[in-house]
Amino acid sequence: MAGQCDSSSSEKKSSEAMNDVPTFSTENMQNNMKVIYYSRTFMSIIGGVIAGILGFTGFMGFIFYFLVMAITSIGLIAKAKFSVHLYFDSWNRIILDGFMGGLMSFVLFWTFAYDIVHIF
Amino acid sequence: MAEDLVLDTAIRDWVLIPLSVVMVLIGILRYFVSKLMRSFQVPDPKIVKEGQVIVRARNLRGAANFIPPKSFRSRRVYFSNEENGLLFVPKGQAQNAQAQMFSDPNMAMDMMKKNLSMIIPQTLTFAWVNFFFSGFVAAKIPFPLTQRFRSMLQNGIDLSTVDVSYVSSRSWYFLNLFGLRGLFSLILGEENAMDDTQRMMQMGGFGFDPSKSLSAEKDGLDIVQHEWALPKFEHRAEAVLKKLVS
Repeated sequence: MAGQCDSSSSEKKSSEAMNDVPTFSTENMQNNMKVIYYSRTFMSIIGGVIAGILGFTGFMGFIFYFLVMAITSIGLIAKAKFSVHLYFDSWNRIILDGFMGGLMSFVLFWTFAYDIVHIF
Repeated sequence: MAEDLVLDTAIRDWVLIPLSVVMVLIGILRYFVSKLMRSFQVPDPKIVKEGQVIVRARNLRGAANFIPPKSFRSRRVYFSNEENGLLFVPKGQAQNAQAQMFSDPNMAMDMMKKNLSMIIPQTLTFAWVNFFFSGFVAAKIPFPLTQRFRSMLQNGIDLSTVDVSYVSSRSWYFLNLFGLRGLFSLILGEENAMDDTQRMMQMGGFGFDPSKSLSAEKDGLDIVQHEWALPKFEHRAEAVLKKLVS
């Protein structure tokens, strides 16, 4: 198992694949949480700029935000090679965590880009 | 009602961008200042001992399934024994620790410093924004809001027919305040961002730290059901070895 870690990956295995007693290495788990947080923040900033440039208004913008979050989740799951239980303790973490935190950054950059481009 | 106001380009150049840049710079400045001003506080040995006991109890609770039942039980008794167990704190002592925490001058000074370093830049920036950038429409937020937000967002603008999407610079300041948190955590690394709400909560919880968490750990330890996982490991080792050999 240890031989499969590639050096460029930033997610660490946080649970041993024991059949009966799942144990988690808290340090690795926290590191994985941090990775998710950074990814989501970054994606929400980029998504905000894109939404502003494209001129989304109102509801469309929020739908776009959910779309970007979904893409981030899929990307993270793909990075974890689809075996989510090796890296996190529950599905909810990788899907829902950091949702609201990214929303404020998204709105800020969305407003910024929209104003600069459209109401110049 | 999409009456598109045409706003002056100068507003973009001289209001939105400088305000955002100033807030980012102030955030970075505050980060470095707090790093410089961090006074090294000599830790009280009693507090450190209690902290370590809590860590030990937590480890025991987490890894309880790896040790045989008898040794787990003896460790648990060591911790939560009524007479001389480490986690058992009588009520009188609990209050004492809390009072001592608040009257300790070093601790109070540290808390004051942290609070001030949070509040002062925010207050100053807010006053600056109000003084210079009031009385005109600064930005348009891309999504519609109800009429109730009008008084909050359109502070200097006294026309009531303007769409609520057109906001004053005060609301741009607040938008920046919340939205730049994520940016700071990316730039400054490891969540040194403005966790002002989290820090406020930590301040309030300081005095309770020793006594409450001790009893919480004790309760947690009492609850743990011990299930020894090790007997099954022999089977697992056998399975793994079989896979390797065959």
